[in-house]
Amino acid sequence: MSEIDPAVAIRAKRGEEQAFIEIVEFYYPRCLRFARNMLGSEQDAEEAVQDTFVRVHDSFPRFREDARFDPWLFRILANRCRTSLARSRRHRSMIEYGEVPLSAAAAEEDFGADWAEEVRVVLESLPAEQREAFLLRHVEDLSYEDIAAMTGVGLSALRMRVKRACDALRVRLTKVEQHGR
Amino acid sequence: MAGDRMEERDELIERASSALRTLSPANPLATARIMAAVRARRVQAPSRLTVVLEWMQEPTLSLASAGLLAAAALVIGFVTRGAISAINDSSAESVVSQPSAPPSGAVPVLMAAAHNDVRAVPVQIAFFEARDAKQVSVVGDFNSWDGSASPMQRLGADGPWTVTVFAKPGRHVYALLVDGTTLVADPRAPRTRDLDYGGDASVLMVVSP
Repeated sequence: MSEIDPAVAIRAKRGEEQAFIEIVEFYYPRCLRFARNMLGSEQDAEEAVQDTFVRVHDSFPRFREDARFDPWLFRILANRCRTSLARSRRHRSMIEYGEVPLSAAAAEEDFGADWAEEVRVVLESLPAEQREAFLLRHVEDLSYEDIAAMTGVGLSALRMRVKRACDALRVRLTKVEQHGR
Repeated sequence: MAGDRMEERDELIERASSALRTLSPANPLATARIMAAVRARRVQAPSRLTVVLEWMQEPTLSLASAGLLAAAALVIGFVTRGAISAINDSSAESVVSQPSAPPSGAVPVLMAAAHNDVRAVPVQIAFFEARDAKQVSVVGDFNSWDGSASPMQRLGADGPWTVTVFAKPGRHVYALLVDGTTLVADPRAPRTRDLDYGGDASVLMVVSP
């Protein structure tokens, strides 16, 4: 996964607006993808991404010029998504690992549903910390070391989260394939 | 790393990941919206320091506010007293103090980013650890976390690392950058957490002279 030229981040940190615009343009699609996959809502994702860039702007004085920009940005984004999820929890009950959410059960009956949509439904049924670890590792292609530095979670715990997410995806998607494809 | 992928990535997981990798095209409207929010913040949002100063100038204080102010004064007093008593204590780890007179002699005086603000006051920071380090510098919100802005110098051949920075009255967050790579909190200052980058940082309370 490509990263932005570190010189651009340094110029943005020093207050150059054009450099900040370059960062927004470069990372917006990836940030929106992560937020959409995490939150399952386009509107919440757009809001989280906008909050993230505002927060990046406000926090730039604390960004170390010798640090990599990607993990720093995704740390802020992941925190914004957690905040958004916590807010939405007030409105809907949590889905525990192993339970089949209503939406997934319905999707299993609709075997003609789009594959990507099937994946999203299963992904949404995972606990947030497993979903986050899976997305950062397998979709955003960050290393375990980067994810550990971002989230403050130990390497072995992270591997376990990713493994559980993969196991759940395998079980559910295999069923979908057997019955619907 | 390669082993991790072999273990976790089979064909099904790879197809699932691919389905989630679809990127939306660049969105100029979204960029414009973000930049508008950022510019509005530059114009409107007061800094935390401004908020603190405005709060300190508030003519009426609630009971809770008065309690907070008293607690802050206690912290400042504790840090300052501890620092002054520790400067001569060879067992001390590090020191944060506001010198009553401008530092001189072996103590270097380096201007931080806020030096041209009349309200900035000199604050001496000493660090008794990292004796084998080749270089140590202070980074904090008062010097834009710039590792080259406030390098510390040894006080004597085997003395502590020291530097004087200039910071405005208020609450500041800082850390010590050892050999340009390791960021550590000051062991003698109150701790806080850097929410954006992780790791511990230290709190410095500066009062008007």
